[in-house]
This record gives sequence, structure tokens and C-alpha cells, in this order.
Amino acid sequence: MSAALRLAEAFARGARRPLRILGASGQLGYGVPSPALEAGLERKPDMIGCDMGSIDIGPTYLGSGTMATTRAGAKRDLRKVLRAARSLDIPLVIGSAGSAGAAPHLGETLEIVREIAREDGLSFKLASIAADIPREAVKQAIRARKVLPMDTMPALREEEVDAASHLVAQMGLEALRRGLESGADVVVAGRACDTAIFAALPAILGFPLGLATHMAKIVECASICCVPGGRDSILATLDDEGFELESMNPVRAATPHSVAAHGLYEQADPFEIREPGGRVDLGQVRYEAIDARRTRVSGARFEPATAIRVKLEGARLVGQRSVLLCATTDPRFIERHETIFAGLKELVGSLACEEAPEDYSLFFRLYGVNGGHDWKMPAPAPREAFILAECIAPTAERAEEVVRTTKQCLLHYGFEGRLSTAGNLAFPFTPPEVAIGPAFRFNVFHLMEADDMERLFPVTVEAL
Amino acid sequence: MRLDEIATTIRSKNAGPCLLTLDLMFPSREGFEFVRARLSDLQLQVSERYAKPLEQVRVFAYEPALAIKITMPRDVVSGDLGDRDVYGAQQHAALLDVAL
Repeated sequence: MSAALRLAEAFARGARRPLRILGASGQLGYGVPSPALEAGLERKPDMIGCDMGSIDIGPTYLGSGTMATTRAGAKRDLRKVLRAARSLDIPLVIGSAGSAGAAPHLGETLEIVREIAREDGLSFKLASIAADIPREAVKQAIRARKVLPMDTMPALREEEVDAASHLVAQMGLEALRRGLESGADVVVAGRACDTAIFAALPAILGFPLGLATHMAKIVECASICCVPGGRDSILATLDDEGFELESMNPVRAATPHSVAAHGLYEQADPFEIREPGGRVDLGQVRYEAIDARRTRVSGARFEPATAIRVKLEGARLVGQRSVLLCATTDPRFIERHETIFAGLKELVGSLACEEAPEDYSLFFRLYGVNGGHDWKMPAPAPREAFILAECIAPTAERAEEVVRTTKQCLLHYGFEGRLSTAGNLAFPFTPPEVAIGPAFRFNVFHLMEADDMERLFPVTVEAL
Repeated sequence: MRLDEIATTIRSKNAGPCLLTLDLMFPSREGFEFVRARLSDLQLQVSERYAKPLEQVRVFAYEPALAIKITMPRDVVSGDLGDRDVYGAQQHAALLDVAL
């Protein structure tokens, strides 16, 4: 019998006790510090959870089906947490497998898990939960007016559903709960709410959902909620009235201020957490110091929603990307860069589109001036600036053609007041043009009302 | 008073791919209360500096962390054509010299 089922039986017999949950990593694949993980294991946790992905890394990983980490990094970290969980025979729960949690990401992660089991002689029951949503289900939901845009997204059209190269939804704790209840020792989920990873076991054991979800929201980032923040494992001890937080690295302190401040991190609204099955109200939360390094948190309340809404995520191909890397040291160029880039776009268009349509987008970012932020306030001109020209075109060849034409035209572009008639650009190396590969954009970020969670997020169990 | 003279944390990040969120944290209640008393001025200056209509700039005082949060739509969805900052982690600098 799995450790999760044994715990459920013990709790059902009345042997309730606080639950110890180890948040081992918020970004599995980028390194799990061993000393803090080992310190955490000495505390005999009841489960280990790891988040492996996010939407914050941009649309390319979801669109292309590739991982943001290297396979070697993912395998190193998966091995570490698998060995840890099996050595104590406690559940390991991993969410948003392989960075974006679609079929190729989940498949690759499962393949690595099987490899490690084989190489290390580990034997356990593995549950996997797919997060890919059938396109027809989404289209039916659109027709039934059960799909709503998130934030600034436009209403979802059926053609965008077809255009998305991968289409997933964030599963909630209900799906992870089914994974654990299947008797699995290790649960690997596709795209999942980060909270679901850590709140599913407490939900099975009957802990208050508001507290469990709030705890989960904090420990999914490991020790980021501490001062100084870091990637070390964190231990949460959950009871029926609240939870305690302690970093497993002694230099990191979970203080009432640092934990409260973490509630702001990457959240539009610090007073609530939205989940598929409802919202957690954080308006009455209390943060109390236990000692210099530990904080107790209480007061989060779960309000169930009348309908379950899952967050859909999809990314579609927009073309092939090529870039040009170069610099200018000329104050006259920097001063007139807007006119120069506008004129250059026209010139490139006249050369590249004589016998072809204008089928590409060409962007310029002038680092030192407006590369990272679209400044509205005036500022003194920098001494030199880095130019990134980017082309997205239907094919790699076309993107390359446009970028190489752009390079030559910009090198010799004549602008008003120009003194340096031998060339406008400093190239750090040649060729200064780089083919990046396929470019994607998020075209689905919507809420879909759904009821049949078992069909949307099916659990598959295998014995290793 | 400039924000970078009062706050000990001034940071930005995506809150999902469509929204940008900025956090201001203060070392003491005094700094927090100073800014909390001037939230509408802060909202106005942010709307000018980030070129967003006033009603799109949401400003919250979050007392548990002695923090102020500002949330607004991103210029383009994260990673979309022409985006400058996929994570939104370097959009805070325009706040540093806001004077209240």
C-alpha cells in the first residue's frame, strides 16, 4: 500500500496529527541544493512536492513541446527527489512536468523517471496525469458560452483552438488527489496549478482547504518566501488551525514580513488565490513569528465556486525567427535612431519584397535606449548602444534573407548629419546574423467551465 | 520624497502573461503610510510613466507586508511579437524616481 493511502487510513481511524510537507523545488531542473534537501529528509516529511514549470517562461516551450531546462539538469534533479522520496517511502508529487506540462513535456519527464528507476534499481508505482485538452471539448465549450478570456485576452475563437500547437489546462488538486488515491508512490502531472501539488494530500486527509492551499502557494517556491530568499527546500507543518514554515537552510529565515511579502509575488491581487474549484480569501490572514527563523500562518478561508473553471493555455506558431546582433558608438546615429529604423524598414521592404509579398515582421530594439523598457520619460543619450534587429517570417530562409539584407542596408544607411561614411555598425563577430528557430505566441489563455475532471485529466498508473 | 529613497524593494514581474505587477516594500510602517496616503498621486504618475489609462492601473495597499502593489496590462502579451521583457522583471526602473 502506498504511503498516501496508509496515511489516509490512519487519519480515518482517528489518528489525526500535523502533516509535514517538504517543498523541494520551485523549478525542478535548475538545481536542488543537497544540504537543505537532506536536512528536510531528517525531519521525516510526509511528502515531497516539486513544481517543474510555469507559463511565465513565455510561449515557446508550450508551443514547441520542448523543456526550458536541459534534459541532464532535469534528470539530475529528478534523481535527487526520487531517491529522497523512495528512501523514506513517502509520496513524491511533481507538477507541470517538463516546463509547460503538455504531452511531449510529460512524456519526456516520464521517460527520465523510468530511466532513473531502471538505472538505480528503484521500484515503485508511478501515476501520470495528462493535461492536454481535446480541441473538440474546447470548441463545444465556446459554443455553449462556457469560455471566458483571462485579463486582456480577446474572446476565444475556434480557429485559434485549432491553431494552437499544444493546448493544456491547469489541473486542480482534484486531479492530483486522484493520482495519489490510485495507490501511486510517485505522481507526475502535466500542467497543474502549483498549489495542487502540495494541497492534494492535505485535501485527502481532510485539512481545511483554505489553509492547505495558502500553504501550498508559499512552499511551491521553496525558500523564496524567506530572507534572504533562495532555492533551498522548505518544510511546512500543517494542522487544522494553521501552518508553520521553516527553511531547511539555516541562513534563511521565514519571518512574518518575508512570508507576507511573498503573497505579492507574481500575483495580480495579494488578497486572494484563485483555484479551479473556488477562491481562497487571504483578507484575514495572520503571520506570527514562532522564533527568528519560523513563522506561523493562519486565517486563509476557502470559498467554493458554483462552477469549476479551468485555465486553458495554448501557443501557436507565428513563424521563424532570425536576429542581427550589432552595436553603434555614434551619438548622431543614437539621436536619430527612430528615423533611421523607420527609413531602413522601408528600404529593406523595397529590396526584399519586389517579387514577394511583405510577409514578415521586422523589429528593432536599441539597448541603452529602449531595449528593455519602452521609456516615456526623457533621458540623456548613452555613449554607445546595442542593436537587436529581429525578423519573424514564414520560413527560416525568408527570415534569414530579410535579416541579412537589413544588416547590409543598416551598415551603409545614409542619414542626415552622418559623418562615419565607412559603416554604421560594430559587429562583435561575423556572421552577426543568428537563426533562432520557430517563434510562438500565446493564443489561448482563457477560463473554461468544465465538470468532467476525470475525462479532462486522466490518471494512468504503471508499476516500475 | 522619491520612491527609491523610501522603499527597500521596488520590483516588477508578470502576473500571468497579460499583466504586469509592481511591488513596493518599505522598511517601516512610516514609509508605507506615507505612500498609502498618496495612492491616487502614485496611480496618476504610474499611468503617465507607463502610458496606461488611469483606470487600467490598479493600486493596492497590502498591510500584512507593509507593501504597495500596482497591477496593469502589459504592453503586449508575454513573448508576443515585439515584446521587450518576457518575464516582466525589468519594468520597475521607471518607478524609481517617482516623487510623492
